[in-house]
Amino acid sequence: MDNIRSSASITLSVWNAIFLREAVSRVSGGRAAWVWLLVEPVAHLTILMVVLSTVRHGITLGIDFALFLAVGILGYTLFRSTALRSMAAISANRALFAYRQVKPVDVVLVRAFLEGVIQLFVGLIMFAGMLLAGFDVVPYDPLTVMLVYGLFWLFGTGIGLMLSVGSTLIPELGKVANICFIPLYFVSGVMFPPVLLPPEVLDWLLLNPIMQGVELARSSFSPSYTTVTGLDVGYVAAFAFASFFFGLALHVRFARRLLMQ
Amino acid sequence: MIVVEDVHKRYQTEHGVGKWVLKGISFTIPPRLSVGLVGRNGAGKSTLLRLIGGVDTPNRGRIERHCRVSWPMGFGGGLQGSLTGRQNAKFVSRIHGHEADIPDRLAYVADFSELGDAFDQPIKTYSSGMRSRLQFALSLAFDFDVYISDEVTAAGDASFKAKAAAAFKNMADRAGLIMVSHGEGTLKQFCSAGIWLHDGRADWFDDINDALRAYKESIAVC
Repeated sequence: MDNIRSSASITLSVWNAIFLREAVSRVSGGRAAWVWLLVEPVAHLTILMVVLSTVRHGITLGIDFALFLAVGILGYTLFRSTALRSMAAISANRALFAYRQVKPVDVVLVRAFLEGVIQLFVGLIMFAGMLLAGFDVVPYDPLTVMLVYGLFWLFGTGIGLMLSVGSTLIPELGKVANICFIPLYFVSGVMFPPVLLPPEVLDWLLLNPIMQGVELARSSFSPSYTTVTGLDVGYVAAFAFASFFFGLALHVRFARRLLMQ
Repeated sequence: MIVVEDVHKRYQTEHGVGKWVLKGISFTIPPRLSVGLVGRNGAGKSTLLRLIGGVDTPNRGRIERHCRVSWPMGFGGGLQGSLTGRQNAKFVSRIHGHEADIPDRLAYVADFSELGDAFDQPIKTYSSGMRSRLQFALSLAFDFDVYISDEVTAAGDASFKAKAAAAFKNMADRAGLIMVSHGEGTLKQFCSAGIWLHDGRADWFDDINDALRAYKESIAVC
């Protein structure tokens, strides 16, 4: 019964309940909602392929061009949608805080987890489709690929935790964050190989952990891919863990303010 | 038993810190007692219910719940519009740790709320009467010691009101009720004791009729 349930068991049943609820509304909300989850990255990939194929002459990457784009798109999308979806979690689930068992950090973490699961399936289906279409998409170093994508998810969750607190306390922050993801896309090397850039620009871009992660994932898919020098998994991991724990700390600090209406 | 001790509450507004809504409220609600909250609009009735329900925390003072307290049933709270009544009922069962006997709870809620086919329709298509029937049935599906109702028990048509009252009469020996309502008849029907909230303070009355009288006299003076 309620009065002898431990805090851990309450939290687990809350996570379970929110997960199922979020999954149902995400996958069955509207007509064939799950199709659109898949259509978005595939359309993204197709458009970039069509556009970039016309301007890409005589550049050898050492990796199949479609795979080059797919790895970048999936990694960046995993980070962005985890961050943005979990940022909106608190305002979308305000009604649930009527139950005192549900805390703001619960809905944010569960949303981030659900987004990770969805992106995992989207990625697997996309790679399976590419494999059937004859592309060589089997990674040469699968462990590093998994590690990098795991770090992208954790980094996205951390940013989501931070932004969920920030955008609840200062609503304008949410709009600014949405805008910031556009330039981030261009400096993450999703649609161009960073090795082609002049070194003075590259030095700055290397500060971006997303760009480092995307490059690391590409080089672990294909060892012949010419990547930039100075990549470090530890750098990406530091950002991911630091943002995650800082985000959790913000939720502890502002737990009360977040519940106020 | 619920102990409310020197509770202060104010809200953060867009223009800084707001006025004190509750200024040092203390009372103890003994087990199995039904209490009605009366007071003007904005006197802090809903705020107090949210604090007792544990949804919000007081700025100063403390609230101890030595029993199982329901969530505050109120308009719009706790139900997600895009999901059906059944899905919402499942969610509430899960967070209260009743994953195993969800079918029983669902059967009870469907039966008591008398929603029929609407139980499988999204909540956003419900009328306010249907919503409150669902909320009321939901809270009765779980064994709480104290039920908190913010205007919701009074909603619904005449036959449902009678049914709700009968359900509470049946539980009177094991559960209490804390309710806010502007319907005098509803308060008299459900509650024995009363709390009158005014100017951020709370006055306890052992008889709800006295609380209603004090409240009405204060309006007459203004």
